[in-house]
Amino acid sequence: MTESPPEAPAPSAAAGLAERFGEMVGALSATGDFGTARIRVSPDRWVETHRTLAEHLPFFSFLSAIDWAGEVAVGDPPEGDVEERFEVFTRLSDVSKGEGVIVSTDLSKEDPRLATLVEVFGGANWHEREAHEMFGIFFEGHPHLENLYLPDGFEGHPLRKTFPLLSREVKPWPGMVDVEDMPTTENVEAGEPEAGEEGE
Amino acid sequence: MTDQHLLAMHHSEVQVSVELETPDVTLNLGPQHPSTHGVLRLIAKVDGEVINEVEPVIGYMHRGYEKLAEVRTYPQIVALVSRIDWVSGYASEVPLMVAVERLMDIVPPDRAQYIRLVLTEMARISSHLVFLSSYPLELGAPTPLMHALRERERILDLIEMVTGGRFHPNFNRVGGVKPAAGAGSNQKKVVQDLPEGFLGQTLAAIQDVVGVCDDMEDLVLGNEIFLERTKGVGIIPVDKALAYGVSGPNLRASGVRFDIRKTDDYLPYDGFDFDIPAGENGDCFDRYWVRLQEIREASKIIRQAVETMPSGDLQAKVPRIIKVPKGEVYVRAENPKGEMGYHVVSEGGRGPYRLKIRSASFSNLSVLPWLLKGQLVPDIIAILGSLDFVLGDVDR
Repeated sequence: MTESPPEAPAPSAAAGLAERFGEMVGALSATGDFGTARIRVSPDRWVETHRTLAEHLPFFSFLSAIDWAGEVAVGDPPEGDVEERFEVFTRLSDVSKGEGVIVSTDLSKEDPRLATLVEVFGGANWHEREAHEMFGIFFEGHPHLENLYLPDGFEGHPLRKTFPLLSREVKPWPGMVDVEDMPTTENVEAGEPEAGEEGE
Repeated sequence: MTDQHLLAMHHSEVQVSVELETPDVTLNLGPQHPSTHGVLRLIAKVDGEVINEVEPVIGYMHRGYEKLAEVRTYPQIVALVSRIDWVSGYASEVPLMVAVERLMDIVPPDRAQYIRLVLTEMARISSHLVFLSSYPLELGAPTPLMHALRERERILDLIEMVTGGRFHPNFNRVGGVKPAAGAGSNQKKVVQDLPEGFLGQTLAAIQDVVGVCDDMEDLVLGNEIFLERTKGVGIIPVDKALAYGVSGPNLRASGVRFDIRKTDDYLPYDGFDFDIPAGENGDCFDRYWVRLQEIREASKIIRQAVETMPSGDLQAKVPRIIKVPKGEVYVRAENPKGEMGYHVVSEGGRGPYRLKIRSASFSNLSVLPWLLKGQLVPDIIAILGSLDFVLGDVDR
């Protein structure tokens, strides 16, 4: 596919958006790859950034986190070397032109703490509780930082990459008994390199 | 019984004029209760009839899809995401596929995009018909249920005709849609298109759906009891709605004329003529009214799509193994419940390194503790029902 997809916004639009909001809050970086505007800020400017952006982008879409880890218990590890960290990110948007930006910040794995956004966006309450139980990130100043989904007394943080998926420990791929072997890169590349309209 | 109690009983006539003290009582609703749409538990602290505090307890339906996605390939995840909001399963599949296609720089053929669009709007009609019929039921009116579910069944039959599934179609592939139901593994080279007669039956069904909307307006919107119970009840002001991430019809009921179908381009909506209905007061009545109008608009979209359905392939050329280049993308869609988005973090593998699922019902429900504060106990069900959430969409 050589031509750029018509359904994706022009890359420059997202980059321009990230640039504009990034300048507004003094971001560390601003990118617009794949039509997704993203800015990165330092953790100590987290609340301030959101307070500034809230005037332009009042819709709080979500808050979540990514566990960047070199060694993983589930799935594939990231390509190449990766800086061990938690990346917390939110998405804010407007409700007129459809502009939106993802704001992210990096936290150390030893002591992942971040100030709460509850004062700025009431909706951050549940999202932070989810990120707290799933990743073990502590949100300072949160009024009720207790488990949202998990039962009381649950040990561990399930969305951390070190947390194993027990069903997969027991049986690597349960679907295997039903049909046929999962196509692997080796056996497919040896056979047909590419399929027609049917895809996989 | 102490002497003091006896004394109090003697003087009961005197004490009647004194205002009765009603200490806080904890009222538990659910998790097993028909009005909670699944397994939601509410712990309400009530003072007489007034609610002081409500704590929703969720997580009974938590299936950990974000974790499961990390050990699956993208085509496998499609089967998971149609189970997030099972009332409109098809609609959740599309934004995930668009996200993967954006990372891979693939454009699905026009015909595939139109089929996606028609099925998405059908999912919207089916979801809204469930709301339009079950909400009056919760307020004590069983008749609308019969009317709306009769037509919803026809929509589900049409979805089944194409996809083979009523609730969980699992019909999308990276780069397009699957060959329609019927083409199994033993006839791999036969690509089936839309079943014969589908477009004609769709137009007929759409006409009846619009008819049932007229019925609902007569049956419900003019009903005095319904008006009493919904007008001015459970008002969500715009600033609260935005700060809590309340989206979709709930946001539009508060007067915000915003629709992701008009601003984002995950499906070719820009070629279609449709309006964005919006309420004025943001109360339960407006939330009902907006969804009723949205069915009419969805019918308009489907009619236009059927009339201008392009011919061509159902799927773009894709590698036999879907490997997604490194990158991050967020794609959102206007689902029946509101903004549904996927943040896909790819590290060049066959599955995501991290998949954040932004579901509409989760944010829509998170406003509940604020919304129910100070309301009356009998209004709990009216307000809860008007938010139109699905627990699978809350818990993921």
